[in-house]
Amino acid sequence: MWQAAALDPRTKLFLVLIFSSLAVFIKNVYILLLLLFITLLTVKVIGGDITSIFRKLQRLITVFVAIIVIQSIFTAEGQVILQLVKIKLLTDVGLLRGVQTVLRFFIVIAAAAIMTTANPRDIIQGLIQWKIPYELAFMVTIAIRFLPLLQEEAKDTLTALQLRGVNLKKIPLFKRLKTYSYLLMPLLVSVLMKSRDLSVAMEMRAFRAFPHRTSLRELHFCQADYLVMAVGMVLFLLLLMISVKIN
Amino acid sequence: MISLQDVSFRYQRDKWLFKHLNLEIKQNLITFIVGPNGGGKTTLGKLMAGILKPQAGTVLVDGLNTKDVALAEIGARIGYLFQEPERQIFAASVRDEIAFALELRGISQEEINTKVDAVLKQFQLEQLANLSPIKLSRGEKQRLAIAAIMVNQPRFFILDEPTTGLDRERKGILSSVIEKLKDEGIGMVIISHDQYFVQRHAQQIITVAGGEIVDVASCST
Repeated sequence: MWQAAALDPRTKLFLVLIFSSLAVFIKNVYILLLLLFITLLTVKVIGGDITSIFRKLQRLITVFVAIIVIQSIFTAEGQVILQLVKIKLLTDVGLLRGVQTVLRFFIVIAAAAIMTTANPRDIIQGLIQWKIPYELAFMVTIAIRFLPLLQEEAKDTLTALQLRGVNLKKIPLFKRLKTYSYLLMPLLVSVLMKSRDLSVAMEMRAFRAFPHRTSLRELHFCQADYLVMAVGMVLFLLLLMISVKIN
Repeated sequence: MISLQDVSFRYQRDKWLFKHLNLEIKQNLITFIVGPNGGGKTTLGKLMAGILKPQAGTVLVDGLNTKDVALAEIGARIGYLFQEPERQIFAASVRDEIAFALELRGISQEEINTKVDAVLKQFQLEQLANLSPIKLSRGEKQRLAIAAIMVNQPRFFILDEPTTGLDRERKGILSSVIEKLKDEGIGMVIISHDQYFVQRHAQQIITVAGGEIVDVASCST
């Protein structure tokens, strides 16, 4: 039985590239909505966590609203929906552009969730087999692996600061900015210490001791990978053509 | 001081760590939480400090529900020491580290200097006052983190593994600080594996294993 989660990481990366590129090229809101639906469906079929995507998007709601308003303010065209004195807060064209931008964000975040179903070691291997230098592939994976850890540390640091009796909401703006600089300090230290420890550990395991590396595990495309990539390519061309025709 | 009433807590959706936990921590006692790794000691400490909020039940600190009050308000009552001291070191010098929270709270410079000098002396950090905390050893960072909490003069402490990385002499200093605080009527919850430290200071020992409180024992020190 074919399992979508077992797809080659390169296939998944290919899908992410297709969805993200389409999100940039397409302007029509309805096609963007269709693309978002297809992306979410793909994430679901591949075994990604759709609820976590919605949780991430929920946190960004204020940013999205701000994007729509800013787009409106800086878009002179269209009919005014909401106006404050002489400033156009919301126009129909601005609203449309804002919605386009927000949908693009949705699609890119949802597409990125496809990669969370891939094993980080397999991602490196996939990139290497795409002839990307091992050092670069390794750096990318380390960055992906350490991001959630840094997020957790940032949360702990903020907690530690508040437990010192510092209530960020009650501090005046100027002082609050200074307080954020205090938050950066432990994070920077932690990153530097982790990278130092990691580099020592890598040296101890003879990283780059020999010019050529061989891998015990090699990735091979299977029929399902070719099929998914072909379907992806057809979808890419189809949506792109429809989009060009409509515009 | 701290009261856990019918508290249930989980990290993962389908796996409860604590279920229907009831516990009272008195203000004037030194309570140790002991038990094997992964048993829930640190989680229990974080629930008591309001860092983690229970999914069911209530945690009261001085009668305040931790779900309803800002962490800063709990921080003014409880000093919490993390297992990793690096996560609670913020400033560019040892002196600033102890002083900055007081500055942000609008305390006068004169008072800050007096308090900081006293704490630096108490923890034998005077020689290191102008150094960057990054350059300190783990034991020194641990002392600095405790000193920075202590300068806030909270009425209760939760210390997660405070003796980790301390040599015998520094443990002795920490012991005398704990005794002094005890004499001042300041209570503490200490999470520790250090048997000697437990025996020396414990007035109450709570044993936690597998997400359950398996024993609560009173001791005379």
